[in-house]
Amino acid sequence: MSGAPDGALDTLDRLRPGERGVIERLEGEPALARRLMELGLVPGTTIEMVRSAPMGDPLELTVRGVHLSLRRSEAMHIHVSR
Amino acid sequence: MSRADVAPTESSRPIRRVAILGNPNAGKSTLFNQLTGLRQRVGNYPGVTVEKKTGSCELPSGQRIELLDLPGSYSLHPASPDEVIVRDVLLGLQDDTPPPDLILFVVDATHLERHLYLALQVLELGRPIVLVLNMMDAAEAEGIRIDLDELSRSLGVPVVGISAAKGEGLGHLRRIMDRDVEPSTLRFRSWPPHLLRVLQRLDERLPRHPLMPERARDDFALALLLDDGEDDALARSAPPDVLEDARILARRLDLVSPGWRGDEVEGRYATIHEIVERAVASPAQRRDHLRDRLDRVLTHRIAGPILFFLLMGAMFQSVFAWAQPAMDLIDSLVGRCAGLVSSLMPDGPLESLLVDGVIAGVGTTLTFIPQIAILFLFISVLEDSGYMARAAFIMDRLMGRVGLSGRAFIPLLSSFACAIPGIMATRTIDNRRDRFTTIMVAPFMSCSARLPVYALLIGAFVPDVWVGPFTLPGITLFSMYLLGVLVAIGVAAVLKRTLLQGGRPLYVMELPSYRAPSWRTILPGVRDRSLLFVRKAGTVILATSICLWFLGSYPRHTPASAPVEARLAAAVASGDSVAVAAAERDLDAVRLEHSWAGRVGRAIEPVIEPLGFDWRIGIGLITSLAAREVMVSTMATVFHLGGADEESASLRDQLRTAVDPRTGERAYSPLIGVSLMVFFVLACQCMSTVAVVRRETESWRWPILMLVLMNSLAWLASFAVFQVGRALGLGT
Repeated sequence: MSGAPDGALDTLDRLRPGERGVIERLEGEPALARRLMELGLVPGTTIEMVRSAPMGDPLELTVRGVHLSLRRSEAMHIHVSR
Repeated sequence: MSRADVAPTESSRPIRRVAILGNPNAGKSTLFNQLTGLRQRVGNYPGVTVEKKTGSCELPSGQRIELLDLPGSYSLHPASPDEVIVRDVLLGLQDDTPPPDLILFVVDATHLERHLYLALQVLELGRPIVLVLNMMDAAEAEGIRIDLDELSRSLGVPVVGISAAKGEGLGHLRRIMDRDVEPSTLRFRSWPPHLLRVLQRLDERLPRHPLMPERARDDFALALLLDDGEDDALARSAPPDVLEDARILARRLDLVSPGWRGDEVEGRYATIHEIVERAVASPAQRRDHLRDRLDRVLTHRIAGPILFFLLMGAMFQSVFAWAQPAMDLIDSLVGRCAGLVSSLMPDGPLESLLVDGVIAGVGTTLTFIPQIAILFLFISVLEDSGYMARAAFIMDRLMGRVGLSGRAFIPLLSSFACAIPGIMATRTIDNRRDRFTTIMVAPFMSCSARLPVYALLIGAFVPDVWVGPFTLPGITLFSMYLLGVLVAIGVAAVLKRTLLQGGRPLYVMELPSYRAPSWRTILPGVRDRSLLFVRKAGTVILATSICLWFLGSYPRHTPASAPVEARLAAAVASGDSVAVAAAERDLDAVRLEHSWAGRVGRAIEPVIEPLGFDWRIGIGLITSLAAREVMVSTMATVFHLGGADEESASLRDQLRTAVDPRTGERAYSPLIGVSLMVFFVLACQCMSTVAVVRRETESWRWPILMLVLMNSLAWLASFAVFQVGRALGLGT
């Protein structure tokens, strides 16, 4: 649960607000994964969880200084290491 | 001759076409407005509802250029209709808009890395390009230092720093635009060899597009390779066998090198990273304090939704309240204009056509404008300030339960004032299926034109008694609004599972920095939307109202009208003004009853009888096709009352006590009143809405489906209300 060690692999939706991760790989539908990469979410990039929307979904993240909003269902396909 | 006077630069060189391009939120429109001032036009690209903004501007040398503001885009490989247009213009696939002679590529200096992604894609097309770094003031404030010369060297194109909102750096930009800008000779592609081989194989088979830049051919091939078959513009640009080959090659690549779609993106970001490392020095810890502070409140778990609903309430209220005086003013001006025309012209069919057909139609169109303008003023301020993205962020989960996106909330809310601006506001929804679903359910929101009808029927049939803390009329009115919302939810759910089904689209959305909205961008936008409505929907509204005028006025003389006409002549002769007025009201009623509209009203009686409606209501249903509130004045005419409105006690009494001439019993009961209200909640009666849906969906398919679906639902619901109510003995 909350005690995941550093460097552990996890999916993006499980980061806590303020927590950072490095994108390892993107799964899911190829066209959607490509789009996310075009928006700057390429493997090796640091990504930070900012907050979740009032009802818990979608999420706000920053990558390359840009604030993006993703749904949890999309963030689940992005693997990160903390 | 006089030709000799013209400056040689003007006549010898053709007008250069310059396009402004960049990511959403880069400040393209601000720059466009700064460069063109008010010399701009808004139109549409053929076949799609993407706005085409063009303008002109003069360079320091005196040369005039034509400026095109392309829609915001993230990539040459599109995910929205806007992005399809950008790709098609740049690749030379858009016949009406050839690739520009010069591209002003606008990037946000505070988000250089992400914005350079599309910039690099476009640089590689080999077109003359100037990189415009916008928001240099904000970058400076954040402590970001950018070496423009270094950036220019790495990219091989001129780089200019500006602050478009403040107008800084525009003189320099204009001077650069005056020079002959050469395309970058540098190559940034690091496409993996296996991808290059496939692209070359595909390239040999591609058709030659006369407008396509030579270096764009690889991108065209890549676009075909990446296409998942949903891109109609692309499908038209290549023969079917090549499209099929591309699909086979893509599948083969999937097997050989599963990550091929991303390899190309990764390579480009690696190049960008190197370029930015050399040219940009950013502070280690960057914080946008305004964003942090505002978002902590505006997207707060509890305060966020509360503020959102307060804001929406205020907006909705203002659309109603602020528009009313303007609508009344337009009404009275149109009335005065009609009065003037009737006083200047002799009574007769031409006068009647002008007054009751043309002027009434123009008046109806004009009365929509205050609501459209005010709503778009709000929407533009919300959009421009950056709040709109937060609104979608807050509402997405709730709207997602219904199968819609967070962006659908504002168009739907606006539809309570009027579905027309609401449907026009769906342009902020970039996914086509979400947008069409929203358009299809927007007319179920009870608009302000239904209110007079509800008010008349509730006043006539619903007893004013208290039920707990509420009154029965209040509860009834609320139920009508609620019914519309519930049916909309149901219809949206069904549409998303049938006609508009498809994989859940990618939601990903940028949350831009907050900025003060600029009137320079907002006011022209509001003006353009209003004019667009007048031009496109106004013609249909005018035609409908002339048609209905004809149906309601002809034939003028019938056997039934003869005795009343004789009575009127006698009353005029005797000078009895009371008798003249009475005879005129009777004549109006008899004429309407025997007009084509009256005959249609009678002809549809068998269809509407199971709902409890008689031919008089039938006539009202026909004339309400011009606008729903016309129902009220039609009922007044049918009941020989002249100019009564929904507040009129006599019209309410007439409805309550009207007698069915065949049975001698009371014609209408409270149950019929409710059945009629339910019909008005669900029926698609507004031809203006149909015209706007036709325009926004660019096809007749959706407006026709809307007409059939809404009217069937209305009939079934009213049928159920009336038949079940009668069987149970309710409200008879």
